[in-house]
Amino acid sequence: MKTLAFTKWRTAARGAVALAIACGLAACDAGPSQNPKADFRNQKLALPSQGVYAGAYIDFGEKEDDVTLEGIEKFEQMVGKHQAIVASSSYWGEGSFPDANVRLISRHGSVPLIFWSPWDKPYVEGRGPDRFSLTSIIAGEHDAYIDRWADGARDFGGPIIVSFANEMNGSWFPWSGLHYGGENEIPGATPKAYEGPETFKKAWRHVVDRVRARGAANVQWVLHLMDYSMPQEEWNLAAQYYPGSDYCDWLGISLYGSQFPSDAEWAPFLPLFDWPYTELTQLDPSKPIMLCEWGVGELPHLGSKADWIRDGFRIMKDPKYSRLKAIVFWHERWQNSEGDDAGKYSNLRVNSSPESLAAYREGVADPFFLGEPILRPAK
Amino acid sequence: MSDQATEPRRFIFHDLKGRRWPRLRRVLVLWALVVFGATVWFIWSLLVRPELKLPRSLRDMKGQLKAVIKNADVPHDRNALNWQKYYEQSPAAQERLARIQTQIRKPKPQNGEIRLGYYVDWDPNSFASLEEHAASLTHIAPEWFSLVETDSRLVIEPDAKLERFCGARGLAMMPILSNLSGNEWQPEAVENLANGPADKRERVIRKVVNEVLRAKAGGVLVDWEQVDPAYRDSYTDLLEDLAAALHEQNKELWFSVALGDDFSTFDIETMSDFIDRFVAVLHDENSASDEPGPIAGLDWVSGWLTVLGDYGDRDQWIGALGAYAYDWNVTRKRAETISFKDAMSRASYAGVDQSGDKVEVIAPSYNAEFDFNDGEDEHTISFLDAISLHNQLRLVRDAKFAGVGIVRLGTEDPQIWDVLEMRGGATKTNLRALSRLKASDTITHVGRGEVVTVDETRDDGTRVVNLEPNGMLTARYTDFATYPILYHQGAAGDHEVAITFDDGPDPDWTPKILDILKARGVKACFFIVGKNAEDHPRLVQRIVAEGHEIGNHTYYHANLALMSPLRMKLELNMTQRVIESITGCSTTLFRPPYNADSTPTSLAELAPLRLAQDELGYTVVLEKVDPQDWARPGAATIVQRVKELRGDGNIVLLHDAGGDRSQTVEALPKIIDYLETRGDRIVSLSELLNIPRQDLMPPLEQSSAQRVERMVAGTGFRIWHGIVEFFWSFMIVATGLVVLRTLLVAWLAWRHHSRDETGPVLAAPALSIIIAAFNEGKVIARTLQSVIETDYAGDFEIIVVDDGSKDDTAAEVTRVSASEPRVRLLRQANRGKAAALSHGLANARHGMIVFLDADTLFERRTLGELVKPFANPLVGAVSGHARVGNLQTFVSRCQSLEYICGFNLDRRAYTDWNCITVVPGAISAFRKSAIDAAGGFSHDTLAEDTDLTLTLQRLGYRIEYAPDAIAWTEAPATFRALAKQRFRWAFGTMQCLWKHRELVFSSRFPALGWFSLPSVWFFQIGLVALTPLVDAILISSVLFGYAAAIWYYIVIFIVLDIFLATLACWMEGEPLRQAWRIVPMRLAYRPLLAWVIWKSILRALKGALVGWGKLERTGAATVQA
Repeated sequence: MKTLAFTKWRTAARGAVALAIACGLAACDAGPSQNPKADFRNQKLALPSQGVYAGAYIDFGEKEDDVTLEGIEKFEQMVGKHQAIVASSSYWGEGSFPDANVRLISRHGSVPLIFWSPWDKPYVEGRGPDRFSLTSIIAGEHDAYIDRWADGARDFGGPIIVSFANEMNGSWFPWSGLHYGGENEIPGATPKAYEGPETFKKAWRHVVDRVRARGAANVQWVLHLMDYSMPQEEWNLAAQYYPGSDYCDWLGISLYGSQFPSDAEWAPFLPLFDWPYTELTQLDPSKPIMLCEWGVGELPHLGSKADWIRDGFRIMKDPKYSRLKAIVFWHERWQNSEGDDAGKYSNLRVNSSPESLAAYREGVADPFFLGEPILRPAK
Repeated sequence: MSDQATEPRRFIFHDLKGRRWPRLRRVLVLWALVVFGATVWFIWSLLVRPELKLPRSLRDMKGQLKAVIKNADVPHDRNALNWQKYYEQSPAAQERLARIQTQIRKPKPQNGEIRLGYYVDWDPNSFASLEEHAASLTHIAPEWFSLVETDSRLVIEPDAKLERFCGARGLAMMPILSNLSGNEWQPEAVENLANGPADKRERVIRKVVNEVLRAKAGGVLVDWEQVDPAYRDSYTDLLEDLAAALHEQNKELWFSVALGDDFSTFDIETMSDFIDRFVAVLHDENSASDEPGPIAGLDWVSGWLTVLGDYGDRDQWIGALGAYAYDWNVTRKRAETISFKDAMSRASYAGVDQSGDKVEVIAPSYNAEFDFNDGEDEHTISFLDAISLHNQLRLVRDAKFAGVGIVRLGTEDPQIWDVLEMRGGATKTNLRALSRLKASDTITHVGRGEVVTVDETRDDGTRVVNLEPNGMLTARYTDFATYPILYHQGAAGDHEVAITFDDGPDPDWTPKILDILKARGVKACFFIVGKNAEDHPRLVQRIVAEGHEIGNHTYYHANLALMSPLRMKLELNMTQRVIESITGCSTTLFRPPYNADSTPTSLAELAPLRLAQDELGYTVVLEKVDPQDWARPGAATIVQRVKELRGDGNIVLLHDAGGDRSQTVEALPKIIDYLETRGDRIVSLSELLNIPRQDLMPPLEQSSAQRVERMVAGTGFRIWHGIVEFFWSFMIVATGLVVLRTLLVAWLAWRHHSRDETGPVLAAPALSIIIAAFNEGKVIARTLQSVIETDYAGDFEIIVVDDGSKDDTAAEVTRVSASEPRVRLLRQANRGKAAALSHGLANARHGMIVFLDADTLFERRTLGELVKPFANPLVGAVSGHARVGNLQTFVSRCQSLEYICGFNLDRRAYTDWNCITVVPGAISAFRKSAIDAAGGFSHDTLAEDTDLTLTLQRLGYRIEYAPDAIAWTEAPATFRALAKQRFRWAFGTMQCLWKHRELVFSSRFPALGWFSLPSVWFFQIGLVALTPLVDAILISSVLFGYAAAIWYYIVIFIVLDIFLATLACWMEGEPLRQAWRIVPMRLAYRPLLAWVIWKSILRALKGALVGWGKLERTGAATVQA
């Protein structure tokens, strides 16, 4: 009966990373199973030669992990398309692998994208490192948890895309490079290396190594940055955070247009996308690129959300960006609690207005945007 | 060959020594005693309560709830002061700061207080409360309109019942216009309507206004929540338009104002220019989505009243006060809105009053709260009662508001109604009254889940109520009231669900369902109907063998609401015994049939559940996910409904019997897919309840005490089953035979009818016409005249044998013979018809004999037609065509039809195959040589005509039928006379059949032995004798609701009858419409024929001599030609 007082924070990012490569094992049964969608085991997600996987994060609650079939189906009905990817979070403070969620999502016929975020309750941005700090990860303090989580992922067996410690080039999350020495140069390193990103990369490799060691070959890793770094300085750019081609399967970004009523101006889609895309392509010559999150607020006083969405779909189809292989829309509405925006809402839902919904439906209806994951038997 | 006939014989069936009957009677009595005793034993075994041991974990429900004492501090009311930041904001407050407040408010008339009752249609308690307290209310706010989805669709859900009620009681309806869809607020629906195009807005407004006018409501109460304050001004515009449209029709616009952080979402100050009433939501300080806390702390209420007073006029405001409770499950972080009474029952069950925990309505919040543990989870309940309402009401009245709202009808503490009528301070009497918590019949709910236990205990409670100097009341609950409780269990985890099937087993659908369950590895529970289990024991065994559970669903799927406790006991015990005898285990699970929904709402609905539970030891399993698959809405709809309802509960109800279940079979895999996809585990009830399977379905070895009862019951069921089985087989065979015979007869008769009769023609031979007469004085002259006037070309004599008549028969005959020398009169002492005919025969001069009844009239051509067949030298006898001449009474009209479509059609058919069984005495012709060969008329049966006919058949004569030799005879005109006649026929026929029994299935007489004689045995005796039994079973079938199956047979019989009758009428040139008379005729004949057959059988068994005299026809009726 009362507004769920969400506390949302100052930033666009909610995020996700990851990349990934398929894993899984040899196809077990070739025959059609009773429930064809029920089992993604031993299959891996293939890259579409043409087109882009379309997916969404669908307002899964405060911890972003309250995944329900009803929620997914309602969203799909609303946008008129099945989701190839369904995103949700797994916070380290919960201490568990989100088994029910990944199984639900894959039984539904989608590939789960998990934002695996190393932070502790109360999950509030801007608080700096907590007990899940990158250094503690590197020191092996959370290996037991990581192993447990990896075991869960392995036992699940279907393809999962994991975005570990996303938007690290922003300033709001406890795992931001900013909190780990940031721009401090590491003496004697050539080329130049900076403490913040280096710490991040160590932690990343540590986590990936451990998960792989547990046999969770079904996890694809996406390195998930913010479109523009904050601060946008040399030490904080994507290249600094790149852990190496062996350590990720996808390269990704969060891309948000204007979200807050108090925003000064409207940010069009193209500049938000073009430069970060190019930045990512330079990290590796071939890895696929993902919009791990994309979205925009319904702020008629600033600009047209419908147009922004339309632009987005149009631009993403441009052959110039042919390495883009997946996009995940951030479908959420929250009430702000700070500053001029206190009490007001940021409505990033696709259905924030009939026009926005129509634009999204129309855009995603293009068969270029794929609603079904393409699965191949894992070798 | 003829020795049988010539040798003097004793009368057939006559038992000279008289031993047969006494012997037989002893055997019969003995049998009757055995059957009676066995039946009594059987019924007794059904009434003995099967020993069911309700699992302790279900029984000890009281033990599961435990009070929890948290630290005794008064809960911190963290929201109590959140009104403060709004206090200084309003323009009015600014003004007030600028100058000393000297505002004068007009005093509101004390008796003009608005009382707004919030109403919901899904809780029967809401209507009950409305009915009871309508006089204390002025306005009703029902859920009615909602704006939903991005495109601001307006959903209207009218409530005709409420419309009528409010109309009749003069209550103003203020239907709510919300943005709620299900449980979800839809802010975009409001935002986009406010920001959207003007025409869309106009359309919605017009729709709302039209509906308000149609429903004769007083206006609309807008309740919009979670909308974005960014569009504040747009809302104001939108509402202003809506207000204008309503005002134009003299309707009002009320507006619900949420308090808390959403307060500034709307521009109350501006809106006060056009909003007629603001309704302040003075509750939900902490709601279901919050942590536990006061629902309406008094400081919070009073603070907000202060804020609100600065907006608009005070008498524009209504304070909506809470009258409900929240049960927060602290462990699982979810909350449930419950009623005050639910809260009382939960506290009482948890023993909160015994625990030493203080449950008090005291400062600062004046909201009571208590904690308990349900065995798994921690709960906190905060509740609003009459005491808290009193205090809040005081504040609202002090604030000079226009009135109050009650949120909501049906969840309130019943004593709030007294509080509402209290004016001024509370008196001692008031306090005393308020301290008594009176139990009522309202059903309260404890726990979650659809496995329920009933506890009808009611107990008054007490709270100590005190008046504080500031005029506020306080209370301490010392003894919680207890209301009738439905204790719910089996909610299990969020993702455990059970599938159940009712009404089976069914041979078509149950196996298909079992196959699916097996393939998917799902265990279900089948609530079976005893009758079906008994019919299909293998299916029951399969259900159990495949790991499913079985529950009791009564024996005949009977409606418990309409039955006596005894019948219910029988229904359940019979089913239990059937299950035991088939599966070797009992079941403790029971689900009542016709359970519209899982929540009984009245004590009457509770009673049968309690009987099943307390007296019979069952666990009652209800269901909330009921997609109504039995109504066959389509497989897709069934799945869709499961999806929609899954959130409400975790027991799915489907049906595996009771009609075409193909949709259920189609939907089941999809339902399983859906449930599994959403992450549910489909579990058995034992898993859901966390009770071992052998406790729910105890194997029989555990209760060897009732072995005898079970054996008796089992045997009884098998015997009964056998009888029923036999009955059905018999019905099927009999129907088949009737159909066959009917078709055969129809075909033969039609063949005979359409054949051109161009055989050799006999020159008219000389005839001796013999009439046996006994007291026929009134008709004999006319009979003679009809013969004399014949067109017959040949010579003939008429011999009348007067069998000792006591009337003027002889004189009449003499009178005729005076002028007609061909008529002769023979006289004899009364010796019976056979003797009379023999006498006449002995005096016959010619070689062809015609027998004629004294009351039978010939037509002119009858004689000629009758003797035609004798052209064939093999023909020994010819049957004439007797028809009923007296049509005055229903009985005789029936017989007319019977003659037409029974006797005559049969003869027509039989003649072709030379298997006529009887040449009627009324009109027949014989070769004298044939009669002589047969040894003349026998005297050992009552049916000398049948006897003679069969004897001639044995001798190898042909018996022909002459359809054109018509004679009009007199039929009994009353039932009594008919019964008498038919008894003679029946007894005579049985004698003849017995006498000539070796003819049956004799290879020498194929047509007679395999067709016509067995027909008589089966259709005229066997089937007729069984009619009472058949009828008894039919009637009981109808009574037990199995009429549908019976109708087939009834319809087949009627159609055949009508078909045959129509055919016969057509052949005889009778009007076809009289064929319909066959239907009432059957009804009338049925009992009559059964009676005479049984009388005949009894006589035959007794072996008594059936004399001629008393059975001789009286023959006095007028005959018309």
